[in-house]
Amino acid sequence: MVGIGNRLNSQCVLLDLEAADKGEVLRAMIGALGSVHEVEDQESLLKEILAREDISSTCIGEGCAIPHTQSAQLERSVMAAARLASPLDMDSPDGEPVSLVFLLAGPPRGAATHLKLLSRTARFLHKPELRKALLDAETPEAFLEILEQQE
Amino acid sequence: MKLLVFVLNNEEFLEEALEAYVEAGVTGATILDSEGMGRFLAYEVPLFAGFKEFMKGNKPYNKTILSVIRDESTLERLKGIIDPLIGGLDNPGTGIMFTVPVDWVAGLVPEEEEV
Repeated sequence: MVGIGNRLNSQCVLLDLEAADKGEVLRAMIGALGSVHEVEDQESLLKEILAREDISSTCIGEGCAIPHTQSAQLERSVMAAARLASPLDMDSPDGEPVSLVFLLAGPPRGAATHLKLLSRTARFLHKPELRKALLDAETPEAFLEILEQQE
Repeated sequence: MKLLVFVLNNEEFLEEALEAYVEAGVTGATILDSEGMGRFLAYEVPLFAGFKEFMKGNKPYNKTILSVIRDESTLERLKGIIDPLIGGLDNPGTGIMFTVPVDWVAGLVPEEEEV
């Protein structure tokens, strides 16, 4: 089973991130991904993620968003997570500002893995008690442990 | 007895498929309008909108035909007609056909065969 736990490193969990807009959030998350995984051109990855956002918002409601892309830059599907210090309006279907952002980036050939991770993340984030626990987590390690306990 | 489930992806073959059912000896079937999971996710759930590219060439909707098959020979006759008709079930995007055992049934159209 494809798990979030082995795709999300605690160094890629950004708690109480200060950001003024979606671009800043994504830049910080891509930077975190780049500190752990090989990401040759972070600006180009950002463009690819924003191109996907242009199709339709990746907000799933209830204060959560899962921006994602399949990029030739990535060798395997990897994730970053951010909890925003101030919830941001990110064109959510329910109009709720977003506090939890999970970024998923993977290679174009790994569509099945990408879809499984995307669906798994969305399913987890639909659970109110899980969202509350993630919003209350005190450290990146605790944040990650909450997700791993779900798996 | 078996329940035959046939998801027919190309609706253009529906008429011929039902003719095949009758020819094979199936006395009744129920036809449902249905939709594939991939199509629904890509077009109805915004999170998966990026995967519309994967759906190109796929039919947006399909038909699901349910029928209770009384004996194995009917099923074999039907499979023999349907498979070449729709372009081979082993080819992706044509359809899915499977059976599950039925241990009780009521309300079936009786079979009336000339002797």
